Amino acid sequence: MLRLRFKYWDWWVLVLLVFCFVGILWTPHNPMAQDFRDAALEGPRAANWLGIDGLGRLWRGAGNTVLLAASSMGLSLLLSSLLVSVEQAGPSWCGRFIRMGVGIWVALPVVFIGLLLLVFLRPSPGALVLAVGLGNMAFAFRQLRVYWIGVRNALYVRSSEVLGSHGWQLFRWAIWPNLKPDLLALSRLLFAMSALELSGLAFLGLIGDPDFAELGSILKQNQAYLYQAPFLVVLPGAVLSMVLLSVHLSRFHR
Amino acid sequence: MSEPDSAAPPSRRFPAGRLVLAELRRFVLIFLLASLGIFLALEAMPEDPVSLRVKNPDPARIAEIRESLGLNDPWLVRYVRGMGDFLTLDWGDSLITGRTVAAEVGRFLPATLELAIPGILLGTFLGISIVLLAHATGWRWLLQPVRGLAALGLTVPIFWIGLLLILCFSVWLGWFPVGGRFDFAYPAPHGTGFLLIDSILQGDPEAFRITVRHLALPVFTLALYPAAVVAGTLEARLGESFLQRLVLALQARGYSPLRIWGKHVLRLVSGPVATVIGTQAGALLGGAVLTETVYSWPGMGRMLVDGVLNRDVFVIQHGLLLVVVMALMVITLADFLSRRLDHQLNQMGREDNA
Repeated sequence: MLRLRFKYWDWWVLVLLVFCFVGILWTPHNPMAQDFRDAALEGPRAANWLGIDGLGRLWRGAGNTVLLAASSMGLSLLLSSLLVSVEQAGPSWCGRFIRMGVGIWVALPVVFIGLLLLVFLRPSPGALVLAVGLGNMAFAFRQLRVYWIGVRNALYVRSSEVLGSHGWQLFRWAIWPNLKPDLLALSRLLFAMSALELSGLAFLGLIGDPDFAELGSILKQNQAYLYQAPFLVVLPGAVLSMVLLSVHLSRFHR
Repeated sequence: MSEPDSAAPPSRRFPAGRLVLAELRRFVLIFLLASLGIFLALEAMPEDPVSLRVKNPDPARIAEIRESLGLNDPWLVRYVRGMGDFLTLDWGDSLITGRTVAAEVGRFLPATLELAIPGILLGTFLGISIVLLAHATGWRWLLQPVRGLAALGLTVPIFWIGLLLILCFSVWLGWFPVGGRFDFAYPAPHGTGFLLIDSILQGDPEAFRITVRHLALPVFTLALYPAAVVAGTLEARLGESFLQRLVLALQARGYSPLRIWGKHVLRLVSGPVATVIGTQAGALLGGAVLTETVYSWPGMGRMLVDGVLNRDVFVIQHGLLLVVVMALMVITLADFLSRRLDHQLNQMGREDNA
């Protein structure tokens, strides 16, 4: 069971993430139905607090970015955990093969993996999640393997084994409580990496639908209005950086 | 250093021959895997690239084009032929522009290199000089931006920094152009494709000035991430006890701070710096692609993205493989350098522990 001790900053991060997720379900204006011609680049006003492209789209964009980044992070963690399990529990040739494969995989840039996937997949948010999840898998595997070996060979785990603890019981009471902080730190790092890479790929126009509200694609669209409405470029990046900085500074103490 | 080198146990030495062989083996393995991956991805492409390009899709005409391109041959034949074509620079024609892919790469690659090489060099220089200056002079406040930069790499997207720089220095202050590689109103220098070199070769100072003005913001944007990574690694390495004792010993000998930090310490930490640049080659490449997009830079990144979105088979096949080869060359070179340079560091560490 995941027991966490929240500090003020961690509460702030939690509220921020929940706020972002709410944007996916509800926004004050439908971000896909705004009349851009009537309200052309008027900037913040009473009806649209953050400008015509502002609150609704920005809010939903933040929610989508957080959701996609969290999905990529989950995929990377899942795949790397599976690989670590097979590498540790499987035959030695299998372990060697996985380590060699990861050594090769880690050399391939995420942009390359993204472009490669989009050769046969249609550009979509799901394809980007897959690309980023696969791209960060090798990094996650290496980190997770180091943590696992460190905890598995620790004296207290060995002592538990000697005292008769095995299998699930050993994992639940000796390994997991000590692996958890490292896993949380890795998740935080992976989340930040995934969000930046996803937004980067979306900024390149690889997300498919140009109207899909994601902070990277919003920035790409708004770059055209740099002269007329600079806030359209400043705000999406500021929101993304605020979310990532908040997550970066969180600790989620046990 | 020759005596301690020869005294080191054989397992700890890095003979150049073995090192080159090991690097070469890894290079070939990754190249084969990447080429196979690209080939399989193209095989799995849902659309027929030939049908997409033919305006009136007549089956007989499509079959004729497929036959002429060799797309009906068995997959192994096509894979081996593709590899042979890549190695002999026979990269076929772009289905979109009609020009040869080699000519397209020849047009876009110099632009990417002209951006990426100064960006990485400037970032490395900034990262090293700030940290060494802070330690040499005792101005610890210089390390504050270094710590800020380290967080920046994980919190602020590079393309947003690029957009903010454009907003500030191009839109508001008007010091630099918003994007592009050269002014339309002035004749661009020709020759190598590298505008900086061409303007020097042609003795055209105005062309050189225009090129530098266009390069300034993209290069600075691209340099931020390597600067952050190099500075962070260097700062961590300088905290090691044997390096601190070495500095104390050199200070006791009366060496000047410039000689201690600029010569001895710099030589010892250059290995880790090369390592970190190698391990970050992929991220740097991604940063280069994004920077090109922000500044409308006509480089390989844009060419590849357009190639993938337009299903331009030969651009995808050879362009992507070329990118992998370039990334691998950076990684291999950095790995080779770092192993050679870190050997000195390992030796110092062993002597220190002895």
